[in-house]
Amino acid sequence: MSDRRVESLARVICEYSLRVEPGQLMLIEAPALAEPLVLEIVTRALEMGALPRVRVAAEGTQLAFLSEAAEEQLTTLLPSAMPEMAAIDLRVAIHSAWNTRELSGVDPGRVAAVREAQAPLMELYMRRSAAKELRWCVTAYPCEAFAQDADMSLAAYEDFVYRAGWLHLPDPVAAWRGFAETLGAVADRLSGVRTLRVLAEDTDLTVGVAGRTWVPCNGERNFPDGEVFTGPIETATTGDVRFSFPAIFSGREVEDVRLRFDGGRVVQSEAAAGQELLRQMLAIDEGASILGEFAIGTNYGVQDFSKQILFDEKIGGTCHMAVGAGYPETGSTNRSGLHWDMVCDLRSGGEIHADGELIYRDGRFLPEFAPDLSPPQG
Amino acid sequence: MSAARLEALASILCRYSLEVQPGDVVRVHGPASEAPFFVAVTRELTRLGAQPMLRPTLPSVEAAILSMGSDEQLTTVTEVDRLESEVPDKTLTIWADANTRYLSAVPPDRQALWSRSRRSLSDRFFERLASGEIRWCGVALPTRGFAQDAGMSFGAFEEFVFGACHVDDPDPVAFWRGQSARQAEVIERLAQISELRIVAEDTDLVVDVAGRAWLNADGRENFPDGEVYTSPRHELTRGHISFSFDATYNGHDFGGVRLWFEDGRVVRHEASRGREFLAGMLDMDDGSHYLGEVAFGMNDEIQQSTRNVAFDEKIGGTTHVALGASFPEAGGTNRSGLHWDIVCDLRSGGEVYGDGELIARDGRFL
Repeated sequence: MSDRRVESLARVICEYSLRVEPGQLMLIEAPALAEPLVLEIVTRALEMGALPRVRVAAEGTQLAFLSEAAEEQLTTLLPSAMPEMAAIDLRVAIHSAWNTRELSGVDPGRVAAVREAQAPLMELYMRRSAAKELRWCVTAYPCEAFAQDADMSLAAYEDFVYRAGWLHLPDPVAAWRGFAETLGAVADRLSGVRTLRVLAEDTDLTVGVAGRTWVPCNGERNFPDGEVFTGPIETATTGDVRFSFPAIFSGREVEDVRLRFDGGRVVQSEAAAGQELLRQMLAIDEGASILGEFAIGTNYGVQDFSKQILFDEKIGGTCHMAVGAGYPETGSTNRSGLHWDMVCDLRSGGEIHADGELIYRDGRFLPEFAPDLSPPQG
Repeated sequence: MSAARLEALASILCRYSLEVQPGDVVRVHGPASEAPFFVAVTRELTRLGAQPMLRPTLPSVEAAILSMGSDEQLTTVTEVDRLESEVPDKTLTIWADANTRYLSAVPPDRQALWSRSRRSLSDRFFERLASGEIRWCGVALPTRGFAQDAGMSFGAFEEFVFGACHVDDPDPVAFWRGQSARQAEVIERLAQISELRIVAEDTDLVVDVAGRAWLNADGRENFPDGEVYTSPRHELTRGHISFSFDATYNGHDFGGVRLWFEDGRVVRHEASRGREFLAGMLDMDDGSHYLGEVAFGMNDEIQQSTRNVAFDEKIGGTTHVALGASFPEAGGTNRSGLHWDIVCDLRSGGEVYGDGELIARDGRFL
């Protein structure tokens, strides 16, 4: 039986996130198990006059390639990749998996080599996106593997995903439009701040954000969405942070990460499990031990940690930061092969101070600083 | 399907059929439901140093685009489509319908419109294929859908398909080289003939093949394979032909098809089933009214009809003709968005004459 919420998700992505226009060439990328969502997006895109093309992955082929490929094969882009990226107007990437540990036996260096070879492709993607020639959206389709990682049944996980997108509401598009307006106001308020101080259990961290741009994430490029982020000043981060949730890198978990910063750089790192991986990643290059992103999760329809960063970094009442590459649009100048998000819960007792003034407590902005970001009740 | 069989089949296709070389960009497309076969092919291609360009398809999406697309959406050839056709050095098409009727709700004229609009791509593809610039092979896998159409259990159908492919032979490539040699002898004979006359039940068809090249289908372009074929001088076909088997094409059933030709062109058609579909296909373009192929099936492992032309056209002892696109490498000049094979059984009483002389009886070359 078809799930109306899948249709609703496709509608929001096409009408709100991508604002599909007639004649636009749309590429949809997904594992084949996301077929129901792919089909709904194709249907909606056709109704809106676009030209949808679908690129699905069959189970097991990525592992087969990564296991057998010689170095040169790993790092060779298909001749169609760049011209295709230059031609498309819209791109949808759907995250879903048969098994989130599928690549656990593959040398991470090989995965990194593939990623590195794709750098020119990503650069073209980002350039066209910045020039507003290409609109894109990353979303997720519920599957058993993600449900298992979230300690949920598939049915419960479906509820979790669709509630995160506010698809249970009668008019999700209107709700997201309203949210976008409010979040824009929050970003405006934050843009006047010079220094942020985050206080939580075992956490007292100061981040310099003066002159940096805050970007409201309102469901256009990620769906579901809900965060506001910037790129901190590279030399200013000081103090301690303890991350409440495991940090996940390519399906591997590092538990109870504690970092100490001085002069912008991680000077001490500890983890209850996976400390070796943590230290290895922080050392991969110069930029890997510097924050590239500081963000506040503002989707109050997401309350559970699920081990999918698309959802976790949006949890209303958390903040997250990424060691490694920053987004140039924020003013960040940090460059790295790494961008690793880690989430810190602020919902019980957490505080954020802006230039010495309390602006956020127990997972909420104070009303005098910013309007309420809760989704409408439905 | 056993992993060993899939690996063996992938190996034959990559090494014998496509002769994959290091650096080749090899596009593999077919239903995503055949993931284990995609994996076997990916492994083999990667081991051989190629760049796999994997394009699993979703039949539901194909049906949605065809049935919902406006004229403009169906006829626009995008840059993505062009790259898919232009970039690969070699292409492997997987035929494996989980449900052979997945396009049955799509009006035939929508399919015709789609195919017609891609003529520029398909013409160029066939030209590059003919010139040897690119290689292509289509492989038919056993599926529940194909088994159901053939009136067989999946297990029995699987045995049938792998038997027809000779995958379980100790040395499958040696078999196909032997088949190739046997077919070459038949071709030597056919190459001397100008006019072929095919006589069978309700069939008396004359096709002119003077100066055309007969090609040896020995497992390089189709799998399973086993036929010899050419493209006739398409404006000279005359007479009528009656097709022996029911078949399914693009989700439509047809049966009892009869065609009458004058000066190469279909002047009358009949079908006991699928008449509307037949008319739609014939009307696709000008070239769809002419024959693009005449051929003889020579795979003796295939003896029963399955409603699936990928197998039926190979039945040892049959002939088939195709309406539409011809093969430039055979000397064919008929162009069309259509290439639709229809099979005529010669095994009981069928006769083939070459320039007036009997050359085959009951499906066997003399």
